[in-house]
Amino acid sequence: MTTPPMVSIRDFRLVRQTRGGTLLVLDDVSFDVADREFVAIVGPSGCGKTTLLKSIDGLIPRTSGEIAVNGTVVDRPGPDRGFVFQMDSLFPWRTVLANIRLGLEARSGDRATKNRTARDLAALVGLQGFEDHYPHQLSGGMRQRVNVARALAVDPQVLLMDEPFSSLDAQTREVLQEELLRIWSERSKTVIFVTHQIDEAAYLADRVIVLSARPGRVRASIPIELPRPRTLELKRTPEFIAIVDRIWQEIELNDSGRAARDADETQEARVNHA
Amino acid sequence: MTDARTDVASPRLAGGRGEPSPPVRARKPWWHRIGLTTSRRRALISLLIGVAIWEFVARVLVDGSLFFVPLTDVVRAGYDLTLTGELQHHAWVSFQEFFYGLLLAVLVGVPLGMAVGISTRVRDYVQPWISGFYSTPLIALAPLFILWLGIGIVSKVAVVFAMALFPITINTTAGIKNTDQDLIDVARAFGYSRTDIFRKVLLPSALSFIVTGFRLAVGRGIVAVVVAEFFGSRGGLGYLILVSSQSFAMDRLLLAVLLLAFTGVIGIGLVGRLERRLAPWREDMTV
Ligand SMILES: Nc1ncnc2c1ncn2[C@@H]1O[C@H](COP(=O)(O)OP(=O)(O)OP(=O)(O)O)[C@@H](O)[C@H]1O
Ligand SMILES: [Mg+2]
Repeated sequence: MTTPPMVSIRDFRLVRQTRGGTLLVLDDVSFDVADREFVAIVGPSGCGKTTLLKSIDGLIPRTSGEIAVNGTVVDRPGPDRGFVFQMDSLFPWRTVLANIRLGLEARSGDRATKNRTARDLAALVGLQGFEDHYPHQLSGGMRQRVNVARALAVDPQVLLMDEPFSSLDAQTREVLQEELLRIWSERSKTVIFVTHQIDEAAYLADRVIVLSARPGRVRASIPIELPRPRTLELKRTPEFIAIVDRIWQEIELNDSGRAARDADETQEARVNHA
Repeated sequence: MTDARTDVASPRLAGGRGEPSPPVRARKPWWHRIGLTTSRRRALISLLIGVAIWEFVARVLVDGSLFFVPLTDVVRAGYDLTLTGELQHHAWVSFQEFFYGLLLAVLVGVPLGMAVGISTRVRDYVQPWISGFYSTPLIALAPLFILWLGIGIVSKVAVVFAMALFPITINTTAGIKNTDQDLIDVARAFGYSRTDIFRKVLLPSALSFIVTGFRLAVGRGIVAVVVAEFFGSRGGLGYLILVSSQSFAMDRLLLAVLLLAFTGVIGIGLVGRLERRLAPWREDMTV
């Protein structure tokens, strides 16, 4: 490979201070994400996925190791990255439009252009007609869409998404997945996408990274060699199901691997799964 | 509510739908059109019942105007005192004391509360004083203020200020502290400067707490005016209460009390209006 990676994570380790002392959240995490690559991260709850994503955004001070985006070491948020928060952290005192405009307001440019951009994005995520609503007047799914639109509005090179579709019903989720793939390929973005849904990871990503339980370490990096453009029918093909199964195996191996230190159950777990 | 799923329908479906259709408007009775909403009508009925009970108790149950008088007597006293100009004078004196004291408390209390909320250093230095003063019955210091500043308006303004300052400061601090960390992170992720985070996140988020501080301050301010005037004054509604009680003029005493209550209601109503103006995104809650 000659092109440098868009995101490069080296020996990353993160310790958090808590009331009860220090907590090792991430340990020895290293991986690269290529330009225009779509990487999904899966792992058990509390393993440090959000922490990792926030670290890439520069929101959390690092402990040791290094994260570089576009060749520059990350030490604070920057306009090259956009973050979709896990909780749809919308500003309750701002309307849908003003929430989408939030990131644009920190930049130069005239207000009319910013409003137009925000309006276009509201339409893109299917919220036209709701621009003047306040968050409390929206359903959970609509709030999530504002959340996504807000990150897209600043047109970042790297999109960091923390379970953005988690509170959506299956139907809306699929529509937004398709939209996301379209935006990703049309606007040539790099995406790092955290999810709990294995099939979502496999459907969207070029590669799925499996993190272990806390402290989070990279357990596996599984390339998804399914053809693009991907359609929803893909989800019912045997190839797709085989890949989902493969990811499941990695996750369970990783769980039973821990248990095996106490009792030698590794074989049994594999057999049970099969 | 309708099925929640209609809200999260796919964008394709939502696309053509646009604005949700306005609610069907029911015909409203005539008294709505003159501003008498359902809740105002209920308030009015409740007040009228109160007035009737007052009139009944004063005319039938209590005899002797030494201790209690009917509302109609109070109204007449109000009419007489207005004709002589005394009532306007007392009301104006009290209003000034109240207004300037409260204004000063807002001007000092809001920035102070913000500083305490934002800076750990300021908090460490200032917090012990705030806690100390807030738990002191400052009204008990009113005689001291009068000794120091005389029986004119200045001493009353000082007492009102002292009483109103702490609820405003404490609530402002609480508002800043209550800001959702996620919202601050969103602003940081977008590269907002510290000033912008303050202006666009902390301030709007703290607003409802600050307004609650104002509301408490209005109540305490009225108490402060009256009590301070008791301890030494030449005018004001508190002064009117004091001299009326000494001469057993129940009608005038009750008149002053009613006016004070009225001021409180108006003041709190104005704060509520301010709140709706500043925070239109808030809605009445349903329990
Ligand atoms: N602000 C914080 N201070 C201290 N510890 C924290 C903080 N935020 C998270 N943690 C801890 O770090 C660990 C990882 O949290 P993180 O939110 O990254 O998990 P996650 O993988 O995103 O989980 P989930 O899938 O449930 O969202 C958890 O054990 C959590 O308790
Ligand atoms: Mg998380």
